[in-house]
Amino acid sequence: MELNLLDLQTKLQGYGVLISFSGRFTQEIIEELGDAVKKYLETESTSKNDTYNVFSVFIEQTQNIKNYSVSKAGGLLGDRIANSGIVAIGKSEAGYFVSSGNFIENKDIAALAGRLEEILAQDKAGLKKMYKDQLKKEIPPDCTGAGLGLIDMARRSSKPLTYSMVRLDDELSFFTLKVYA
Amino acid sequence: MERLSIEKTKSTPEVLFDPETCELRIEGQSYPENAFKFYEPVLAWLDDFLRQLDREVVLEFYFNMPYINTRSSKCVMMLLEKLENAYVGGKGVAVRWYYDTDNETALECAEEFKEDLTLPFEISAIEAEK
Repeated sequence: MELNLLDLQTKLQGYGVLISFSGRFTQEIIEELGDAVKKYLETESTSKNDTYNVFSVFIEQTQNIKNYSVSKAGGLLGDRIANSGIVAIGKSEAGYFVSSGNFIENKDIAALAGRLEEILAQDKAGLKKMYKDQLKKEIPPDCTGAGLGLIDMARRSSKPLTYSMVRLDDELSFFTLKVYA
Repeated sequence: MERLSIEKTKSTPEVLFDPETCELRIEGQSYPENAFKFYEPVLAWLDDFLRQLDREVVLEFYFNMPYINTRSSKCVMMLLEKLENAYVGGKGVAVRWYYDTDNETALECAEEFKEDLTLPFEISAIEAEK
């Protein structure tokens, strides 16, 4: 099937997508896209706080995806996971949003869903407490993450986080997370 | 002790620790690929410095970090805990946290760090860079 870029672009714009990237995330790509997001919002005369929140959610989402693929690198599914990243920053009537997606191993689904449900069950004060507890927790030295990203996004989000997990085959599922900044 | 000087990059702050003047500064955004790796030498330097810090001297720690990702926040918390322990142990330590007037999130972030600490912690607004 011939790639129809106009069709792809029209679809993206139909969803309100302003900037998107699909492919392997590297720190350089995250930094450049982050700058692009910031510059775009600044020219749109968005408030400093909105700009900050969108940028912040963008960094947490993309670094989560990158760290997850780093943790799977060298494994049998490493390449499939590393190439599966996608992020879209857009604007809808409800405000700016950052959506991201990537492949995750089916065996990791239960823990991730449990974590997200735990976060979704909290109110503002509960999230703050969760964040602070996690901030002070000792973390193992080989751990790349601090376990704070999802809580932080939930705290910044103007609406509850939404997520989905679609099973692709016996090994992988596609995970998406949408955050209204 | 040797000075610690790390240049700023797009995703890491400038770090300037001067043992002579007892002035330590961290300035800039922080969202590196691996925050723990970036802050490891910073925390190690601080450990050594606090160990030999004279009780008569006041260490001034300046922060100006407009954006900190969560992994870097964890490292900043570890750093502040070291300062707090030194303070509780009777050493002179003062934190001054600067933020741009129109960056409310940076202010909230500083206030949250301050909440659980007892050491002198001053938060000041400065005019945003234009």
